[in-house]
Amino acid sequence: MKFQIEDVTVYFPYDHIYPEQYSYMIELKRALDAKGHCLLEMPTGTGKTIALLSLITSYSLSKPQSPIKLIYCTRTVHEMEKTLAELKLLHNYQIKHLGPQARILAIGLSSRKNLCVNPTVLAAENRDSVDAGCRKLTASWVRAMAAENPNVPTCQFFENYEKAASAAVLPPGVYTLQDLRAFGKEKGWCPYFLARHMVQFANVVVYSYQYLLDPKVAGIISKEMQKESVVVFDEAHNIDNVCIEALSVSVRRQTLEGATRNLNRISQEIDRFKATDASRLRSEYNRLVEGLALRGNLPITDTWLSNPALPDDILKEAVPGNIRRAEHFLHVLRRLVQYLRGRLETDNVEKESPVGFVASISSHAGIDQKTLKFCYDRLHSLMLTLEITDTDEFLHIQTICDFATLIGTYARGFSIIIEPFDERMPHIPDPVLQLSCHDASLAIKPVFDRFQSVVITSGTLSPIDLYPRLLNFHPVVSRSFTMSLTRDCICPMVLTRGSDQLPVSTKFDMRSDPGVVRNYGKLLLEMVSVVPDGIVCFFVSYSYMDGIINTWNDSGILKEIMQHKLVFIETQDVVETTLALDNYRRACDCGRGAVFFSVARGKVAEGIDFDRHYGRLVIMFGVPFQYTLSKILLARLEYLRDTFQIKEGDFLTFDALRQAAQCVGRVIRSKADYGMMIFADKRYSRHDKRSKLPSWILSHLRDANLNLSTDMALHIAREFLRKMAQPYDKTGGSDRKTLLSQEDLEKMGDGSVHEMLY
Amino acid sequence: MASGHVTKRAKYKTTIKDPGTPGTLRMTLEKILFVPHNPKSAGKLDVEFRFIKGQKHTKEGSSKPPWLNLTNNQNGSFIFEFENYSDLQDCRDFVGKVLAKSGEVSEKPTVTYPDEQLSAAEMELRIKLLREDSELQKLHKQFVLSGVLTEAEFWATRKKLLDREANKKTKQRLGFKSAMISDIKPSTDGRTNKVTFNLTPEIILQIFAEKPAVHRAFLTYVPNKMSERDFWTKYFRAEYLHSTKNSVAAAAEAAEDEELAVFLKQDDILASESRSKIRRVDPTLDMDADEGDDYTHLPDHGIFRDGSKEVTESENELYRRTLSQDINRHAAVVLEGRAVDVELEDTRSVAEALARSKQESSTKGESYGDTSRERLDRVSRMTEIEDLQAPNNLPLAPLCIKDPRDYFDSQQVNALRTSGDELAGTEQIKCSLSSQEVYGSLRESISVIKAMGLKDPIVKPEVAHQVFDALTQSISTTKYNIGKNPQESVLDRLPKKIKEELLHHWTSILELLRHFWASYPITTSYLYTKVNRLKDAMSHIYPQLEEIKGSVPSDLRHQVSLLIRPMHQALDAAIQHYEADMQKRSARSGERPNGYA
Repeated sequence: MKFQIEDVTVYFPYDHIYPEQYSYMIELKRALDAKGHCLLEMPTGTGKTIALLSLITSYSLSKPQSPIKLIYCTRTVHEMEKTLAELKLLHNYQIKHLGPQARILAIGLSSRKNLCVNPTVLAAENRDSVDAGCRKLTASWVRAMAAENPNVPTCQFFENYEKAASAAVLPPGVYTLQDLRAFGKEKGWCPYFLARHMVQFANVVVYSYQYLLDPKVAGIISKEMQKESVVVFDEAHNIDNVCIEALSVSVRRQTLEGATRNLNRISQEIDRFKATDASRLRSEYNRLVEGLALRGNLPITDTWLSNPALPDDILKEAVPGNIRRAEHFLHVLRRLVQYLRGRLETDNVEKESPVGFVASISSHAGIDQKTLKFCYDRLHSLMLTLEITDTDEFLHIQTICDFATLIGTYARGFSIIIEPFDERMPHIPDPVLQLSCHDASLAIKPVFDRFQSVVITSGTLSPIDLYPRLLNFHPVVSRSFTMSLTRDCICPMVLTRGSDQLPVSTKFDMRSDPGVVRNYGKLLLEMVSVVPDGIVCFFVSYSYMDGIINTWNDSGILKEIMQHKLVFIETQDVVETTLALDNYRRACDCGRGAVFFSVARGKVAEGIDFDRHYGRLVIMFGVPFQYTLSKILLARLEYLRDTFQIKEGDFLTFDALRQAAQCVGRVIRSKADYGMMIFADKRYSRHDKRSKLPSWILSHLRDANLNLSTDMALHIAREFLRKMAQPYDKTGGSDRKTLLSQEDLEKMGDGSVHEMLY
Repeated sequence: MASGHVTKRAKYKTTIKDPGTPGTLRMTLEKILFVPHNPKSAGKLDVEFRFIKGQKHTKEGSSKPPWLNLTNNQNGSFIFEFENYSDLQDCRDFVGKVLAKSGEVSEKPTVTYPDEQLSAAEMELRIKLLREDSELQKLHKQFVLSGVLTEAEFWATRKKLLDREANKKTKQRLGFKSAMISDIKPSTDGRTNKVTFNLTPEIILQIFAEKPAVHRAFLTYVPNKMSERDFWTKYFRAEYLHSTKNSVAAAAEAAEDEELAVFLKQDDILASESRSKIRRVDPTLDMDADEGDDYTHLPDHGIFRDGSKEVTESENELYRRTLSQDINRHAAVVLEGRAVDVELEDTRSVAEALARSKQESSTKGESYGDTSRERLDRVSRMTEIEDLQAPNNLPLAPLCIKDPRDYFDSQQVNALRTSGDELAGTEQIKCSLSSQEVYGSLRESISVIKAMGLKDPIVKPEVAHQVFDALTQSISTTKYNIGKNPQESVLDRLPKKIKEELLHHWTSILELLRHFWASYPITTSYLYTKVNRLKDAMSHIYPQLEEIKGSVPSDLRHQVSLLIRPMHQALDAAIQHYEADMQKRSARSGERPNGYA
């Protein structure tokens, strides 16, 4: 269907539209018009992504003189694939109605590991080895060597791509990663470098958060993006954590040992070069005197993860004199490693600010702040000069330099915490020095500054006023949408008591109580016999899940559960978890039914949908609070209190409830879908906890369902499932439309949707 | 043990108290034969295995002598007392194997011949069916016992009932059990620290399927390097070490014993399998790809110790195996289903069969190119929002006739009859058409029908119109008479006796008509007589219906006559057809001297 929103003709690939999608588009358009940032919360299962894509692409089509670029950030690769698949649908629709002028180029971008088509490189285990494997074949000096000596292996795909030179372009269209690989294979061009090249010409780029937020990556990939871009962070409820992770580094004994080995190797290399090719080192020195700006001219294959977010002026500054010579720099690094080793040898937990730490480095190791700041770039330059291709071997020294640059750059928003052992296992000494970032706004600030509009959207952004404070920005539009349902297709319940009427909770003093564990098991056992197809269970942590599953196994509950449904479990091994998920889906598809055990805050909770028959019921066992004894968390809470006046308790509850809501919200995809959600902890019945849930869940949480025991929940589940099995009118009857057709929209004109919705 | 028979000395006891008849017990795959030493004594026994339902036996170490108690399906039992426990064990294993096998081997499809020799079991089944279904019993009594239909004819249209009962077990292939194999609990004898595991081929197959490394080890080690018994001892030793969760001890033991290490180590075949499987996984949940994309998961980057990440001991990682892994693996295997379709006899054959089926599936897996298509389809299916759009294809399941016999049974019976008296009857038309020609002509006629419609519709439009008119009229009159209550049907208003009578007549008329129409065209003398019989039976019912009509009170008479009218019409149609056919036949019979009897 197509319709007008003010001056923009919106092309929407379906015959109907939800009213909330329509108003979402109106708000989004307002933000685009104002060229400002916005914050939009819309329940999962109301087609956020397609609404967003179709508005922004239509917006850009309607203003051909100044087309805007869309940079769409997802948290995971599979979300990226899904987004691109939706975009493909939309693009086909637009082409059908507008003809060739609607053509756009949309690409997904990922790492070499996901894009490489060279079988020898792909054989490597992890991302770093794939990166290194690629570099071994494509680095400029390797290729120069290969030109002289045909025995030096190169990558055929990259050579072809280079040969095609400017002819190597992607024709317009929507390319998923798989499409890119297929295209690369067909043409014999390297898809990774082709995609990297095409990023600056594409109308839509879909990639992972890190490509914008992590300064190490953003420096190379996202450099060329123009200001007239719309940046979208989808599923952004965790964006503060991503920002913080991007700027946090930890140093352990293994890191230091590895770094020492790396330094020895570098020193050998330097000696070797001195003997054979001293001019190289000298030319590097000269280049460094002129400043680091030269970096931009490096061949595309030589760049690596670049330095942490450095203000532009630093790039123009010359490298300090004391580290320009390779040997001197090496000495600095050795002293730094030595100093860090000394700091690790401690019996007590120590906490320090970056300023104090830099001062102490300066006095003990004689390295000043400015030198520290340049470490990362200096190392990069040195490794290029020394023609080191197996970069995956040098991760340790990179970590050290990363650390040095971060403490040299930022004076606030960080703290350094040294712990001699893990609190939970005090008998095992495992000292760690952590540089942890507390301020999410640091990493995202360049993004807000650089781009015209940044859209932060998710199904759970409650309380919506907290995010602007955490990320330190001023949205022009900030809205939370409710869900207009045709029927009550979600059924949240709070279960406070087990079948024996005793309270259940994962509170610290109760969680290992055998009665609670048994009650949880009984709950699941009752539910598997009632609920068809898929059931998903979330636990508060891996260790708790392991414990509870072992107990259930010993007491035979697990066996009884298995008689009804197959059981799959998320483990810390990603490959195994992926396969388990795949099998889980197949079990649901074939009607066998299955239960999936997962962990809140885990990878599955973050990105996998359990819609339709893949999840008819989610059980959240407990409240997923963070581990409150963690020193890092305490430091962060303190920082939040001092800087943003956010109370510790409030933040912890907010964080726990957004995780719970996130877990639970994965069951619904559309209004035709239905699912139940059980919050199994007595603490959910308290108002201060519950009220932090997003409004679309709260509005369906009836007072009668706030304090249930297992048998009552079972009864409600039976009733609910019976009700959902009945046929219903999809458009939602006459008084309150939940599905709009094109005529409906035309009849209403602008504005009246609001009256109908609210 | 794999041989097809077992012979042991034993005593046969009719009851537990019976002192028993000494003799020789011989068991083959088909039957149990007991020959007493004293040929004059009465205890001779010859039982087929298919009558044996189960077995019980006394435990070693208990006060009772070694008894084996075989129960048959009539709740009788045969008790044998052996000389020692090892004899008992041999026999027990043998019986177990045979019983397991007979449960799975499907019965050969038998064609029912007119004068079939019914086995006792079949007879029993029929009796049981009749006993359970009183309506069926009534029909049976009415027609079969009165000689209108023969026993075979009556049952021929109900083959489904018979089949379902008989083949209940074999219809569906059994999958693996949902329970985990770690649930095999050892039995202890209580005196020593020795534990005994009972492994059936079923369990072994499951172990092999879930743990390919064990499977491979079995194929390489047994029997060249160690005996099967040693192999399993080692296996359970390893399982025990796992269950103690003491990875240090496991590592230590593995260092000493390289065969044991095979069981303790992570399964490398599984690892490589999962690496190939991950490429075919649904891209909307491929979290492995994230790992490759996620720059925060560089070592030492991101927040390291905030309690969300778990602590594991990294040493001896090689020898750690968690319950979750086992559960996942188990569920995956159950989901895959049983690939092996051989009779589970001994471990060796199980292992080899599994290896074969693995090879097949791996060659199938090679053709991996076309899976990318499927992956794309799955993504697009996952992304579409279903209710925003009219469904593009109606969610209809294609009609699938599971058992065509239900529909063609009656025809088949008639066809069989023909085979009996073909020579006496019609001359056989010699057809020498190739299948292609047949196909061609069939296609042609179908396309003609498609283009022009049926020349000769099953129901003429005028007739259909008439029927519909009558129906609407009768419905409207009943509505008028009964009022608005939709729950109440006409039948409910009738007296119970009349209602039952009507229903019974209705079913019997249906039964007769079914046989009647199925007999046309009359090709054999057998059918000829059958039709005659049926016609007589039908004309009997005719006046009975009239009688009912007369017996009801006047206010209901109209209703009843409305109900009876269609029955009359159906009977009329049949009798008319019969008479028309008879006339045609008699007209022709002059030309054919050796017509039908």
